[in-house]
Amino acid sequence: MLKYIAKRVLVTIPVLIGIVFLIFVMLSVVPGDPLTVMMGERVKVDVIERLSVTMHLNDPWYVRFGWYLWDALHGDFGTSYKLSRSVSSLIANAFPKTLLLAVTAAVLSWIIGIPAGILSAVKKNSLVDHLFMGVALCGVSIPAFSVGMLLQNVFNGILPVSGFASPRHLILPAMVLGWNAAGTIARLTRSSLLEVLEDDYIRTARAKGLAPLPVILGHALKNSLLPVITMMAIQISSLLSGAVITETLFSIPGIGRLTVDAINGRDMPLLQGTVIFTTAVIIAGNLVADILYCVVDPRIRVEGGK
Amino acid sequence: MKKYLSFFLAGVMAAAMLGGCGSAFDDGSSPTSAAGDSSAAQTQAAGQGETAQAPAGNTVQQGDNMIHIPSKNEFPTVDCQKNTEFYVVPLNIYDRLVECEMVDGVATIVPSLASTWDISDDGLVYTFHLRDDVTFHNGIKFTADDVVYTIERMMDPATAAMNTDFFSMIKGANAMLEGEADGVEGVKALDDYTVEITLEVPFGPFLANLATPSCSIYSREATEAAGDQFGIDPAVTVGTGPFKMADWVLNDRITLVRYDDYFKGPAKADGLQIIQVPDENTQKLMYENGELDVVDLSSSNSQLPYFMGNDAYKDNLVTGPEAGQYFYAFNQDMKPMDDVRVRKAISMAIDRQTILDQMYNGAGHVVNSMLPDGILGSYDAQEIPYDPEGARALLAEAGYGDGCELEIWQMTDNPDALAINQVVQSMLNEVGFKVSIKQIDEAAYYAERKEGRIGMTRAVWWGDFNDPDNFLYTFFTQRNTKARSINHKNTDVYQWLEDARAMIDEDERMALYQKIDTTMVQEEAAVFPLFQMDHIVVVQDWVKGFEVPWNGWTDTSYYKVSIER
Amino acid sequence: MERFEQAVSLAARLAVDSVKEQFSPEERMEAVEKLEEEEMEYIPRPDTLKTKILDMCRENKVAAVSAAVLVLMALAIIFADKLTVYDPNAINLMERLLPPSKAHWCGTDDLGRDIFTRILYGGRVSLLVGVIPTTISMAIGIVMGMVSGYIRQLDALIMRLADIVLAFPSIVLAMVVMYTLGATTSNIFIALSIIGWAGTARIVRSQTLSLREQEFVEAARGMGVKKWTIMFRHILPNCLPSLIVLFTLNIPDAILSEANLSFLGVGTQPPDSSWGLMVSQAKTFAVSSPWMLIFPSLAILIMVLALNFLGDGLRDAVDPHMKK
Repeated sequence: MLKYIAKRVLVTIPVLIGIVFLIFVMLSVVPGDPLTVMMGERVKVDVIERLSVTMHLNDPWYVRFGWYLWDALHGDFGTSYKLSRSVSSLIANAFPKTLLLAVTAAVLSWIIGIPAGILSAVKKNSLVDHLFMGVALCGVSIPAFSVGMLLQNVFNGILPVSGFASPRHLILPAMVLGWNAAGTIARLTRSSLLEVLEDDYIRTARAKGLAPLPVILGHALKNSLLPVITMMAIQISSLLSGAVITETLFSIPGIGRLTVDAINGRDMPLLQGTVIFTTAVIIAGNLVADILYCVVDPRIRVEGGK
Repeated sequence: MKKYLSFFLAGVMAAAMLGGCGSAFDDGSSPTSAAGDSSAAQTQAAGQGETAQAPAGNTVQQGDNMIHIPSKNEFPTVDCQKNTEFYVVPLNIYDRLVECEMVDGVATIVPSLASTWDISDDGLVYTFHLRDDVTFHNGIKFTADDVVYTIERMMDPATAAMNTDFFSMIKGANAMLEGEADGVEGVKALDDYTVEITLEVPFGPFLANLATPSCSIYSREATEAAGDQFGIDPAVTVGTGPFKMADWVLNDRITLVRYDDYFKGPAKADGLQIIQVPDENTQKLMYENGELDVVDLSSSNSQLPYFMGNDAYKDNLVTGPEAGQYFYAFNQDMKPMDDVRVRKAISMAIDRQTILDQMYNGAGHVVNSMLPDGILGSYDAQEIPYDPEGARALLAEAGYGDGCELEIWQMTDNPDALAINQVVQSMLNEVGFKVSIKQIDEAAYYAERKEGRIGMTRAVWWGDFNDPDNFLYTFFTQRNTKARSINHKNTDVYQWLEDARAMIDEDERMALYQKIDTTMVQEEAAVFPLFQMDHIVVVQDWVKGFEVPWNGWTDTSYYKVSIER
Repeated sequence: MERFEQAVSLAARLAVDSVKEQFSPEERMEAVEKLEEEEMEYIPRPDTLKTKILDMCRENKVAAVSAAVLVLMALAIIFADKLTVYDPNAINLMERLLPPSKAHWCGTDDLGRDIFTRILYGGRVSLLVGVIPTTISMAIGIVMGMVSGYIRQLDALIMRLADIVLAFPSIVLAMVVMYTLGATTSNIFIALSIIGWAGTARIVRSQTLSLREQEFVEAARGMGVKKWTIMFRHILPNCLPSLIVLFTLNIPDAILSEANLSFLGVGTQPPDSSWGLMVSQAKTFAVSSPWMLIFPSLAILIMVLALNFLGDGLRDAVDPHMKK
């Protein structure tokens, strides 16, 4: 198992380097530089020319790529042009907010999604089933910002609609993200329960009165929830990276908004830092999910798991 | 067994994540968290009368008398030598040698850190007599050496300053910037409270120039000690201003508190909090919620109709002129704008009054020059007519009788520019243009514009300092006309702009600026002035003493503003 | 999607095991006998793709209704000019921000344009953005996946590439691509194709891996059939059912991605309009003119919901164990 984890971690290194490379290449052909965008209307050509030299902005992209890799390998992820602070401190500042939002949304989605999924599965094709699944699907069928804007307008005056100063600020954005995630969880719970309940063997057993529904449900549920748990690990990581829109709408200073600001400001060191970080989180989430998987069911061979 | 292990693992993971988030919220004591309860706290405080007034001091005080304002962007730094855009903090925590203020409706240079000054007859030597009762926030006394330090810090290549142009007219300043000298030759501290500044050549707007936020005076001792944390770490960023930095929660808010030993007397409010609210609609929601005290509607344009159309807010709107204007810039390096007849046809085809009335609630007036009202040297310019038939004829004369393709460029995600561009598009199409709107993102827009490569575009300029130089030099010198994608070719104008700078006789200088303006706007139609807007700010009932500054900026000093609930 | 399926089948196996443990061997034998009896009575029908889908329409009312709704919407969008008298881009400053009325069914926007008309025309962009990038990305994904699964030398390279794309936060990747290429509607197709192919590639690869070991493929190989012929003639048709499902489920993803890009300002560019852009433009008017927000949001919701229902229905009918 340890060997497997080590191998998986090693594989991520070329992936991360590939991502850094991709960003350097792509942004090197995009017009725009951090200084000009920072100055905006008050453009001063000679100041830009002078500072570009001191900031090495005129070097070709492969030279900057080389230096970036060198520094990154030494643990230095550079300083943001736009916010004049070290990239690592900016990420350290933003990450807890995104994490808190993601975890709250995830917990919310479990509280709503799992019971809804169970009910739907037990009452398959009933009105309750269609209603719950309809609501769950709506959550994944509408852009987060539509929901967010609606909530902002409905709850204005009741709940804070922007910022991240207190737990109350968390409610609306967590609802937006949580509804979306609850849809996935509810559908997963429903189909994994159904798969068990509709197994021929179990159907027969039930038909013959060998075991009452609650007993079977008890077993089925316990096991159906295991994959839901592995799903949770993946989901938290995708919530972490997917909060870009929600964070922008609700002005939450998390990783997502930091990334968007970095692209808009051509803030290369910051963009690299946030993307590397987010990617690492996603990969870690997937790894945790896979490990949980193997722990749950030893029959799955780790190598052939993919 | 392993199944339970996995439950356990998942539980531990979740717990660790939650535990790690204990510090995720920004400063728990922040007042917005209590926004909903503030009315309760307020009645209580009122009941207790004067005793409720908390003692001011070094403690971060966040009572009811804080002013809360929004900002759309996070500031890179509050060191205004290294920043060209975000001045609200510098205007409140630093002072300048002189300030520009409205006196009887006229923007006037008034004393500040310098109580008096003498200017030599040749306009080259400025001697400032400084106040001796000024202290920085850390208690150090302000002296002439701090002025010398401030100027040299700006010109020191190691500082990597962005506002060097505000001091570059001082003798020896550029030599220091080029690394040829260790100091600025033209700046001398004659004694502790007298400083003498010598210019390379006469520069008419020099005093007005010194009143800009970029020329804020720093403390040598504190700033040198702070190193690269100056402007970033609130603890080491000190000035002499009415407020001092207390806290900076990145991407959330900056808290300033009153500096009680301010040399002009303490400010009326307990402090100022600048809250990050990028979205204009959210700014409005927060205002209605009582979370924001002052919202600048001119920089949140989309909310203007809502507040102006609602009688409930009639008494909450504070207005004042903006010393600046919107205009369309034409790029003479691009077809068809290289033909003056086409440029004139464009301006004749656009009904500015209708746009102003319908889209901006008539809050402003149409202008016909690049020198807006309230700026030194503004004059009664000849009106640019709205004449669609004339435009069509002019277009035919220029050889575009059967249609003229034209690109209007703008930034993406700028709904205000998009709205007016779409209206202009339909007006121009009426007279025979085929207009397309090209959108590129902000960084690309500025980069292309700097190279002189963008098409017709709506631009805006608000004065940094009260002088025509700040308007005309910015757009029409050889270098700047390219950097702003105007690319006009009138070499006389290039020369006149340099000449005007060195003129000592004010009347003669203003006459020349008027000639430059008439040439560029009326004869060459290099730009098409649109409107000078009223600057409109909505303030809560309890905000007293708020005024729009002379230049109509969003960023202003809150020294005289008080909160009276 | 892939993990979703994996998780479901794992749950089923574990649950069946633990239920089995509850019964004595006799009881289990009895149950199995009963099952066999039942199976004897079951007469298998020829289950072609077509009959499966027809069955679904008969049994799954929700999916059938969804399909009907989609057809209706598509028709309305295609014949937009017959359904409205307004020009979607005609600016009328005198009729700004009017609430819904007989003249303007969904009200007007901040430039006095009829919102119903703009929804119809904006649907063209949204529909195209749903279909075109999904087609392109699936085509790329299919080729990449088959090559990766069949030509083992290229497997590592292609899969690492897919890893990079999958690990990259997709909205960020799309934004960077849009900046690189410039924000135009056709570039949205490219950006969404670039972020979309990797998921398909993985699924096709794993199916190819299992198919290539099957007898008919080995037989073809033995007869000296060329690699590419085997891939496209023998392997691809066997992946088809899952690909159809995947296609239906990828379209809504693409529509939502375009909406998100438009919200961030790098999606559809005016005067073109998409539903996502209309919603994000409503941002500043959401309180005073809620119709600007509600109607385009509803349009997205209905279309994406219908696609999701249809996709779910198709999956249940065609390919209940899409991924093994």
